[in-house]
Amino acid sequence: MNQETKAQSRVHDLLSASLGAFAAFCLITSPWNVDTEGPDPFYKGPLIFPIMVLSMMVLAALPACRRLFSPADGSSWRLDGGGYPRKTLMVLGLLIAMLAGLNLIGLEVCALAFLSVSLYILGHRGPFKLIVLPLVMTGLIVLIFKHFLGVFFPTPLIAEWIWE
Amino acid sequence: MWDNLISGAIAALTAANLASLVFGTFVGIVVGILPGIGPMVGMVMLLPFTFALAPDVALSLLLGVFCGGYFGGAVPAILMRTPGVPSSLVTSFDGFPLTQKGEAQTALSAALLGSFGGGIISVIILVFLAPLLAHVAANFGPPEYFAAGLFGVTLVVMANRDRMMQGILLLGLGLWFSTVGIDGATLSPRFNFGTLSLQNGLDIVPVCLGLFGVGQTLLLVERKILKTDQMNLTRSTLDFSKLWGTLRYWKTLIKSGVIGTFVGLLPGTGSILASFLSYEAAKRSSKRPQDFGQGTPEGCLASEAGNNAVPAGAMIPLLTLGIPGDALSAVLLGVFTINGIYPGPLLLVKEPVLINTLYCSIFMINIAAFLMLAFWLKPFAMIVRIPATLLAVNIMLISVVGIYAVNTRIFDAAVAVFMGVLGYILLRLKWPVVSLVMGVVLGEILETRLRESLSIGEGNPLIFFTRPISLALIILTILIVAIPLYKDRRRTTIERKPT
Repeated sequence: MNQETKAQSRVHDLLSASLGAFAAFCLITSPWNVDTEGPDPFYKGPLIFPIMVLSMMVLAALPACRRLFSPADGSSWRLDGGGYPRKTLMVLGLLIAMLAGLNLIGLEVCALAFLSVSLYILGHRGPFKLIVLPLVMTGLIVLIFKHFLGVFFPTPLIAEWIWE
Repeated sequence: MWDNLISGAIAALTAANLASLVFGTFVGIVVGILPGIGPMVGMVMLLPFTFALAPDVALSLLLGVFCGGYFGGAVPAILMRTPGVPSSLVTSFDGFPLTQKGEAQTALSAALLGSFGGGIISVIILVFLAPLLAHVAANFGPPEYFAAGLFGVTLVVMANRDRMMQGILLLGLGLWFSTVGIDGATLSPRFNFGTLSLQNGLDIVPVCLGLFGVGQTLLLVERKILKTDQMNLTRSTLDFSKLWGTLRYWKTLIKSGVIGTFVGLLPGTGSILASFLSYEAAKRSSKRPQDFGQGTPEGCLASEAGNNAVPAGAMIPLLTLGIPGDALSAVLLGVFTINGIYPGPLLLVKEPVLINTLYCSIFMINIAAFLMLAFWLKPFAMIVRIPATLLAVNIMLISVVGIYAVNTRIFDAAVAVFMGVLGYILLRLKWPVVSLVMGVVLGEILETRLRESLSIGEGNPLIFFTRPISLALIILTILIVAIPLYKDRRRTTIERKPT
């Protein structure tokens, strides 16, 4: 293997080991997570393929597990010098909040708030980028999805409470 | 054959198909020009909209993005030494030096001619080669399909062999994702962990949209704005007088187009290899090889002809065997199967008009992309000035709303966000995400073929070794794993030896 692989961060090993552990968990619990009560023999049944796949994952994670518990000299947790992704996490949080808020405050308000706040967090200032652009984009999304494609979006709970 | 081709051309020329391919090409050029976005993000972003379209129109839309992305990638590579798509890196070797000499128009003319020529040559090869391969594949039974699928995924894993274990892990994860939900053959629930939402399984659309539409754009959030001061175009359209000048490299064009098509045909090899091989071949056969790397239009032409031939090349195994060669064609396979069309040798017999419509659409996409870039060169080039963060949040929003729109289930959007987080981590760690996508797409096919094969053999796995094509494919699979690993081991041993 090349030099880059040898010098790679321990974060890679941690992720590999975590995936391996997840696969091992699924493998062990597979008799309970897969319904095998049907009349088919094992080779035709629903369990054979997952067992093969999960075993492959466990085997592929073993070298990383070994490196994780007995690291080579000079190995470190340093990843790429890209720093802590604070802004990315904030945008991700907003995206999750937007999804959670769809039922509560509706598509229009959620989309508008997500765009405006995200752009503010990412350093965009000025009325065009913070107000006009999110308004246009939200309008387009509502027009395309709600009116053109006829997609059903839940009526905002908050609107129902107000009407009641 | 010609009757079907004419029927396909008529279907491709319908207003809906034309509008779809032109729009797809436009989106493809835009996402191709924007470094860090690329055709994959464009394709997954448009994926939810394809459900409202007829299969041929939907596929033309996505093929437009696929091919248009490679066209667009050359523009920032030449003007700013920032490749829009990874394979355009090779174009920048000669394109940027030409720009520095004030000959950006010459470089762009060569790149555009290369892209166009490579695309057209590959379509011609596709038209003639696909039926031949389908004829061979018509003798395939479940063991052969399984062996071919295994060969395909192994090539993909081995293409990233410096991260082989990670590739295997991701492939396994993708294959496992495909098993979640109700098993189609026995109707047994699998790995739904007691939740009703998981009974429908993890669909390819939220997985791909999450990995690329959300994951890739989360990476863009950290990206700095590109400096575009060096962009030096003398006019807003392509200088056609330069275009005629580059026509003298027609031999390089044909050779690069053929190389690119055959590289695209092999799963896992990708467009970067096509660009490199075409570039190296052109350099070797050139009368002035010393000009390569210093700024020769021939280098731009070879590289672009190579990478633009890949999409049509990748369609050959996809249409005839149902095996996608890369993540982009894996998404196309997803669109096929969602519409109840299963690629394979019978597809060419069952759906000849659809297949020929696709051939004609790819042909027209190349023309559309060429014309768009030739006449709107400067406006397209200016797109790189749009801040990446501005695009990122908008793409994220469209992706999440789009995925909800497919089944009107917030659960799907939640899956996309979860996959987005996973995609962000994997892309930041530079793990081969293509393995995960291949796993999700090919999982069901591989599992079905495996169980069918074992049923034929009454549970005996030797069924794979008793049939000649299956045996040959398995031997080939073992060889593509063993030979590179043996070479790596030998090189390491030589390096460790004291001199």
